[in-house]
Amino acid sequence: MKARSAFSIQRDVVFAIFVREMITRFSTYTLGNIWLVLEPLLMMVLFMVIFGARGRGAYGFVEAPVFIFAAFLPFRLLWSSTMRQSASARGGSKGLLEYRQIRLFDVFMARTFIEGGLFVVVGVILALGMMWLDYDPWPTDILLTLGYCSVLWILAASFGMLACMIGSIAREVEKLLSMLTMPIMFMSAVFFPMSIVPKQYWVYLTWNPILHAMELIREAWFDNYISPVADFNYLFAVTLILLAFALSSYRLTWRRIVAR
Amino acid sequence: MIRFSNVSKYFPTRFGPKYVLKNLNLDIPDDRDIAILGTNGAGKSTLLRLVGGIDFPSEGKIISDRFISWPLALSSGLQSSLTGRENVRFICRVHGVKANRQTEEYVKEFSELGDSFELPVKSYSSGMKSKYSFAVSMGFDFDTYLMDEIMSVGDAGFKKKCENAISNKRASANIILVSHNMNLIRRQCNAAILLAYGRADFYESVDQAIFRYQSL
Repeated sequence: MKARSAFSIQRDVVFAIFVREMITRFSTYTLGNIWLVLEPLLMMVLFMVIFGARGRGAYGFVEAPVFIFAAFLPFRLLWSSTMRQSASARGGSKGLLEYRQIRLFDVFMARTFIEGGLFVVVGVILALGMMWLDYDPWPTDILLTLGYCSVLWILAASFGMLACMIGSIAREVEKLLSMLTMPIMFMSAVFFPMSIVPKQYWVYLTWNPILHAMELIREAWFDNYISPVADFNYLFAVTLILLAFALSSYRLTWRRIVAR
Repeated sequence: MIRFSNVSKYFPTRFGPKYVLKNLNLDIPDDRDIAILGTNGAGKSTLLRLVGGIDFPSEGKIISDRFISWPLALSSGLQSSLTGRENVRFICRVHGVKANRQTEEYVKEFSELGDSFELPVKSYSSGMKSKYSFAVSMGFDFDTYLMDEIMSVGDAGFKKKCENAISNKRASANIILVSHNMNLIRRQCNAAILLAYGRADFYESVDQAIFRYQSL
């Protein structure tokens, strides 16, 4: 054995868990690891066909499949998946914590990286497929889009980590989260832009940071869309506060979670 | 040296905190092979987990500058859907061992699993599993090996092989062993910790500790 620095231990461990999670997630399925990409890919294609079938120009500023692509890709892959994977990290890592190098935090990091990677891979595959079908799927301002996506990604990871910590005290959190999946989607302006929502209802929706992320991504993606409500400062502030909460609750409780 | 300074460990229950170890002060020397004795529920495995750094004392500190193995118990820390080889590779990665090929081949040979080494761990019988996990632990160079009842399964020939392997490691390492097999303890250990009445006592003589343990 060689002594390693704390950083290189963490790097080794996160990489090991990253690989292990990728291998094990679909290992019992016939198509195996192909499902890692195939599952979100199929889901996205299904959404785009169903919503896209309503015809072109339905949103005024962009073709329906591209609109769905720009909304569901970040929402499902960055928000939903990352959040759920982080929230269930505790149950999925029982065997991992038998090694003293591995902490729960490494599992969070590995899972978050996997979801981020899947987002990019699935997004590129779908965009190439759409180019072939004569759509224009690429964001106008690709760097800004990815920047907003990363904030949403960190928001999801923080929320998931916090849910995992609270879930270690009350398991009901898991139930609540799966119940809230649909309502959150309706409240986050995923399949409609805020510009079609009447002004008097904005106040009921704009507290939701995910909605701001969705609107900001849309603004950066389509050059002829300007969101009436999007506020980056609010999104950023909520993300920072949630991250701080998640990290400090982790620091306070991780030993108790490890103890049997 | 593994030093316990004022270590207490309790588990919260609905009857209040249940102490397993209380105000324990203990030095485990580097050159001794230690047996941990105690009745069921006395805290043997908890003590091992504390030394292994995967559980933490409620109060006090454990200080050590040694490379300590994970507590080797039957199939602990193995992912059952991964193959034997993939599990070894994972453990190599976690421990920062770059020469994982070498370790994999060593484990394959030592565990006598043959082709089963390439099959998922969940397909192993309990005997195979014990051979496998023992072989995995021998594939890494630790200063201290923690073993929890791991040598009690397996056929006679393999047991002999295990004990030889441990004897070879002795030059550079020591072991801390939990077992109910007194003969094994007499052969492998030269000091003991007896857990009884909420205390832990260090014995220089294994025979004396076993005598105390059997008259509990």
